[in-house]
Amino acid sequence: MSAVPAFFAEYQSMVAAELRRLVPDDSDAAVERSMAYTALAPSKQVRAVLVLLCTELCRGRATRAVPAAAAIELVHAASLILDDLPSMDDAPLRRGRRANHLEFGEAVAILAAFGLLNLAYATYARSYEPALAARLAASTADAVGPAGLIGGQALDLLATDRDITFETLERIHRGKTGALFVAAAACGAAVAGGPPESISALTAYAKNLGLAFQIIDDLLDVEGTSEETGKAVREDARKTTFVNFSGVDGARQLARELCDTADRALAPFGAKANRLRELSAFVVARRL
Amino acid sequence: MPEPLQDPRVDQLRRQLRELGYLDAGVDRFLLAPAGGARGRISVAMRSSLRLGVLAAAMLGPAGAIGIAFRMRDLVTGARDALVLAAYFALIFFVVFSAAAAIITLAASFLVRAGAQFTTRARRVSRAAGWTFTIATLAYLTLWWRTANAGFSWSAPIWTASALLLAVAISLLLGHAARIATLGVLASSPAVPTALPAVTRRSWRLTLVGGAAAFLGASVLLLATASNESPVAAVPPLTVVPRGIRLRVIAIDGVDPHLIDPASWPAVPSSTSGVAPVVGDRYLLDPQDTTDPARAWTTIATGEPPEVHGVHAIETRHVAGVHGILPGDSTMAGRAFRTATDMIRLTRPSIASRNERKSMMVWEVAEEAGLRTAVVNWWATWPAASRGGIVLTDRAILRLEHGGPLDGEIGPPDLYASLRKSWPSLRADAERRAAAAFADISDPDIVTILRRSAALDATVVALTDALPGAARDLDVVYLPGLDIAQHTLLSREDGGAPAPSAMADRVAALRAYLAFLHDLLRVWLRPAPGEFIVIITEPGRVATPASGTFTTYGILPPPEHVEAPALGVRGSVSVADVAPTILAGLGIPLSRELTGHGRGILGQTNRYVSTYGAPFRDDSVRTGKPLDQEMIERLRSLGYVR
Repeated sequence: MSAVPAFFAEYQSMVAAELRRLVPDDSDAAVERSMAYTALAPSKQVRAVLVLLCTELCRGRATRAVPAAAAIELVHAASLILDDLPSMDDAPLRRGRRANHLEFGEAVAILAAFGLLNLAYATYARSYEPALAARLAASTADAVGPAGLIGGQALDLLATDRDITFETLERIHRGKTGALFVAAAACGAAVAGGPPESISALTAYAKNLGLAFQIIDDLLDVEGTSEETGKAVREDARKTTFVNFSGVDGARQLARELCDTADRALAPFGAKANRLRELSAFVVARRL
Repeated sequence: MPEPLQDPRVDQLRRQLRELGYLDAGVDRFLLAPAGGARGRISVAMRSSLRLGVLAAAMLGPAGAIGIAFRMRDLVTGARDALVLAAYFALIFFVVFSAAAAIITLAASFLVRAGAQFTTRARRVSRAAGWTFTIATLAYLTLWWRTANAGFSWSAPIWTASALLLAVAISLLLGHAARIATLGVLASSPAVPTALPAVTRRSWRLTLVGGAAAFLGASVLLLATASNESPVAAVPPLTVVPRGIRLRVIAIDGVDPHLIDPASWPAVPSSTSGVAPVVGDRYLLDPQDTTDPARAWTTIATGEPPEVHGVHAIETRHVAGVHGILPGDSTMAGRAFRTATDMIRLTRPSIASRNERKSMMVWEVAEEAGLRTAVVNWWATWPAASRGGIVLTDRAILRLEHGGPLDGEIGPPDLYASLRKSWPSLRADAERRAAAAFADISDPDIVTILRRSAALDATVVALTDALPGAARDLDVVYLPGLDIAQHTLLSREDGGAPAPSAMADRVAALRAYLAFLHDLLRVWLRPAPGEFIVIITEPGRVATPASGTFTTYGILPPPEHVEAPALGVRGSVSVADVAPTILAGLGIPLSRELTGHGRGILGQTNRYVSTYGAPFRDDSVRTGKPLDQEMIERLRSLGYVR
């Protein structure tokens, strides 16, 4: 199974509408167009859907979580712009289009990334009561900060053209991918006021799912095509990836086990967590 | 699902991932793993219940084995037996707990319907399921401890408190598991739109409080049910008051009081020396169920009822894989259970033995008191455990027939060589004697039956006479021939009786056998000075229930000459009085634990000790081939077992 689950469409449309509201694509300003260029580009919006599913699982309404889901997507979009910069991964293709900095120039792209990041926090502040907004902002900031995206990207840059240990690779993946997955799950549960035990189960799910997602990403870089993935492939040749440690079959096996573990974390929710199980099944089988 | 890769790199990465916090769902994986997939509630209930059963098996199986080892001390002979029993109990607990958990969790899932009150109801129902398991487990473990702590007196409160704390912990754990499993099943219901109620920290506080309450409850239950328990008393020494009396106890099975006047058989000589008078008494024994001779004669020899001495039937059961013996149960339910376990080869038939006996027989008490004793052919005496006394067990004749190394048939073992040497001539003499008897009976079938019994009784008598060391304080002999003949002649497979015309011949044949027996025992029945003869008869398997007789007579040594009273039936005594009367006659103090009483028949004064203790054990290694199957076949041929 490589197509997104059918139920994605409903959630994606809600998130897309919110994103269009937050980031209009008809602005004259280059930086705003640059923001919209990446934020509104065709995307699976896995992290945003994760927010909405977790909210529902904790007995909240998905509509209430849409701003949080959009904020998570904005953060993710910002990280993609920065990740593709020449000073970073220097990637030419993202979401099936030219990279943001190739389209708008490096300076505008950097500003757009900061713009998206700030918009995410502003969305929390404007959409939720202060206590919840602070909680969401803290979770997201943790995911972005030195222990999250920034820390992971820094390690990733240092690791290029070098042999690294498995522990270092895990820290890179945890920061660059896992942290935002975990934040998405935690934010979704927090919006619904889920109890600590539910949040704990959902973060365990997200942590395992995030790493599985990244392992599959590594596999797609080896096995996939640009048409399938929407981004440049074989870009990781200078980097140590999961595939280097385990081989292709081993990586797929471990990704499957991580997704199985993620599913087991959902046991307390019973059949009501089936959509999250579909999500993990999609992650492990995805070709895009 | 594809097979996991056998790649050492993957194994290494898997280990590293676990150390880094991945591959850990962070929930009760053992119980709720089945709920990890999108399964229906029945599937989840079954799978979770099986896992709960595994937990119960692991924790309660060993406890069950320890408990039964204390309750049935002869069932567990070593660590291997204990392990096998623990496995059996684990299987039982697995089945019971799995079934109970499946029923309760499924019932809960039907009780708690979707709706606004789902969370509240789910919390209550799952909690009720958990506490049900906790209380049931705790009650079992508390009563188990009541049985198992026989080795510790109630003055060991630390042991008791520790055991109860462990029981509470196990009970709470299983209760918690049941609660989680119930929640898992409730969550699997497709009609329930909301998430599970969380197991909060407050719940653990409640669990701790409940645990403390459970501990108190268990303590109360333990104290309430332990009121009759008493610590194992020390066994006092047995001091004998010598009376210069030797006893020869002759037990004759199958003497039907309807067949012969109990007041006149056997005939007692009035004097043997012309100087010393014969004195004695004859009593009727209160009727007891004699359909099972092992049970009835063990009652006589121990002075205790079957519930105390532990020998309930000739047939017992070996549990597969266990060296020890499962005591017989003569109830209908017990027989049905036995048949069922035999059919599935979980148990196999065995013959009542000394191993399951919990009370000492008269010769064992006398041996403990330092007297010289010999017993021949009594029920439930194998394997022989001798401390100097002679024991020819109920398997001794079989061993002498088959030869080969001893397997506890004769004690002391060095006696075997001399008996084996003289066995051919003993056997030939016995068969010659039997062949010479019953010449005036015309029916060859009846003659064959009588001579088979006669040969057996004559062999027992010859073996007794062949024992070394003539001057023993107590000789005990069991003669089964009359009962075997009576059973063969008078009982039928269909439970009916022979035709009247045939019955007359058979009754006449039995009277002829009594005459043969009287002749066989002629020398024994004439007491020497200082010797007393004790004759015990029971009606046997066919005539039950009816009275047996208890006859004692002999010649008191000087200066105890007394006026010789006429020997007639003086009344009746309980079968439990036989053993104490014999022991008191030998000058041995009586145990206050005995059910029966010394009747003063032999002119003795009763003295008492607190207990005789348990039968002593012979821990010597037996190297001979067990004759279990041969014994069963022999008893089957004689009509004792089917």
